[in-house]
Amino acid sequence: MDFLITLVNGLSLGGIYAMIALGYTMVYGIAKMLNFAHGDIIMVGGYAILVFLSVNPILAIVFSVLFCIGLGIAVEKAAYKPLRGASPLAVLITAIGVSYFLQSLAQIIFGASPKYVIIADLGSLVIGEVSISYGTIITLACSIVIMIALTLFVKLTKTGRAMIAVSEDKDAARLMGVNIDHIIMITFAIGSALASLAGLFSLLRVPTIMPTYGALPGIKAFTAAVIGGIGSIPGAMLGGILLGVVECVCNSIPTVAPYTMAIEFAILIVILLVKPTGILGKKRREKV
Amino acid sequence: MKTTFKKVLCLVLTLALMVPVLAACKSDELEVPSFSDSTIKIGLTGPLTGGTAVYGTAVYNSAKLAVSEINEAGGLDGIMFSLEMIDDQHKPELVANSYATLLEKGMQISLGTVTTAPGLEFKELSYEDNVFFLTPSATGDAIPEYANGFQMCFADSNQGTASAVYFNENYQGKKVGAFYKSDDEYSTGILAKFEESLDDSFGSIVKASFKGEESDFNQQVQALKDCDIIFMPIYYTPASQFMTAGKSVIKANAVYFGCDGLDGVDAIDGFDINSVPQEVSYLSHFNSNATTGAAADFIKKYNETFDSEKEPLNQFGAAAYDCVYAIFEALKAAKAEGKNIDGSTSASEMCEILKAQFTGNFEYHGITGKPEADGKSSISWTENGFVNKEAVKYIVKEAN
Repeated sequence: MDFLITLVNGLSLGGIYAMIALGYTMVYGIAKMLNFAHGDIIMVGGYAILVFLSVNPILAIVFSVLFCIGLGIAVEKAAYKPLRGASPLAVLITAIGVSYFLQSLAQIIFGASPKYVIIADLGSLVIGEVSISYGTIITLACSIVIMIALTLFVKLTKTGRAMIAVSEDKDAARLMGVNIDHIIMITFAIGSALASLAGLFSLLRVPTIMPTYGALPGIKAFTAAVIGGIGSIPGAMLGGILLGVVECVCNSIPTVAPYTMAIEFAILIVILLVKPTGILGKKRREKV
Repeated sequence: MKTTFKKVLCLVLTLALMVPVLAACKSDELEVPSFSDSTIKIGLTGPLTGGTAVYGTAVYNSAKLAVSEINEAGGLDGIMFSLEMIDDQHKPELVANSYATLLEKGMQISLGTVTTAPGLEFKELSYEDNVFFLTPSATGDAIPEYANGFQMCFADSNQGTASAVYFNENYQGKKVGAFYKSDDEYSTGILAKFEESLDDSFGSIVKASFKGEESDFNQQVQALKDCDIIFMPIYYTPASQFMTAGKSVIKANAVYFGCDGLDGVDAIDGFDINSVPQEVSYLSHFNSNATTGAAADFIKKYNETFDSEKEPLNQFGAAAYDCVYAIFEALKAAKAEGKNIDGSTSASEMCEILKAQFTGNFEYHGITGKPEADGKSSISWTENGFVNKEAVKYIVKEAN
């Protein structure tokens, strides 16, 4: 029974990591850049919920998603678009700069101390001796639905297929009449929407928010994306869930618990040694 | 379309740039002099940004409050005090630079660092230059290792031992668990001493831990769900997150028992401590809800001067306030003995003067520790730089 609780917990946490990892992986696949400000979108999403929570929780969630989409697009337009074609290092540094900018701005506006954001007191499901919070269960259920929806979107819609086309070969896609800028913008919008939802579900599990809130899940999700194979959508999902389950299983064993993070990152190293492109990453043949 | 977008963007960015300016106007209500030749110069480093900024900010504000009060009352026979703090972001690697900057600017006396990890670096540097420091809140046992270092807070081992003594007397026969931060000197230091001093009759204790800025403890509460008493040598933010996750998982009649890091757990914005069914208590040196005595006066002044929503007071701040006053009183006593003290006294001379006071018969009456009849607590120091004052067990909230 205890192991089942650990597993449900792990899958739920993994669902959150997967949602964030999808943002990393899609942006990498399509714009070929590592958007290190992605984790901070989660934090912004959390604060956006906080601002409108007193009005109406549903409205707050909708506002948060819209605000994050807007922010994602604005960041892309203002910070990354002018650098298209610049060296990857310049883009990387800019992303880190955007990350610090968002964190500092949040600290100036909301202060450094953590704020509690209680969207709804959902309580816990009690089965005999054990109990598990509804927040965890809802997160798990929603993340499954979201991942299925995203997969269908990419596979079945015209925009989705255009996204795959851009990630496979940008120039060929352009020649086929795909508007690259438009696709990149949509990618950022979807990534940011997923990040804001990840923020929402994190708040259901842990109802606190602070300016550096997005940093750790951001790094973990990035790790998940690399483990799964960066650029691969199913890879991000697999990596996220794997990492979430490993984290919870490690934390449930007292003697192993202090080394949880070391183990998580060790898995990354091992996988990169065995399969440098990640579990589901595609091997690209380099033309010389 | 394109130019409109650019115009809007420019406007938004300009406004964004103005936010810090506006915010700065608000938090700097209290101005204290910065370093100059004619003043006695007190310097420190601590986190003003990042995850632990809330401690550094409280320390900075409280120290400023003490300095401005002392200056208003005429300083040390007319010599004013000045204060400067540099942000170390709770990162040991930033301390050497901050320390050098302060020293170059003429720092004569230091309050050390706000947190332990950077403090371990700081003590080495200040020892080489023979600079006196009295830290408000770096609780590590090794902080006052050298003769120039003193603490206003209890050292970790003190808190761990005192807690174990309390457990031995009051919680015999209960199942004890511990929730700690495995990469934090404060947390592991206290826990080690706690386990050492705990009676064998308790058997082995159940432990769960976390690292860094982790905040999701839904798994950790499962590990401790059978415990009667949960010892939590951690700071209040993760503690509140743990208690939230444990509301219905941890036994309803269990007790959360923390150390001074738990001070302020009932003042977190949006966290309703009464929604936690279990008892919450801690062993500390400052009661942030004090309604009588010198502590209450200080709390009132702090909340009048600063924005207590954004920059809440905690025991770190109270200790910093005591630090500045203790240094002031010690200088006053030294001056009465005929020592020559002013803005030109070298840091090393200052160190010798203060060391002699603090290890001598000097006794300071302040706001941290157990208050006596006059509303103030009695505080003195051992030769090793550890503080002598009485801890109080403080019940934040009874069990429902």
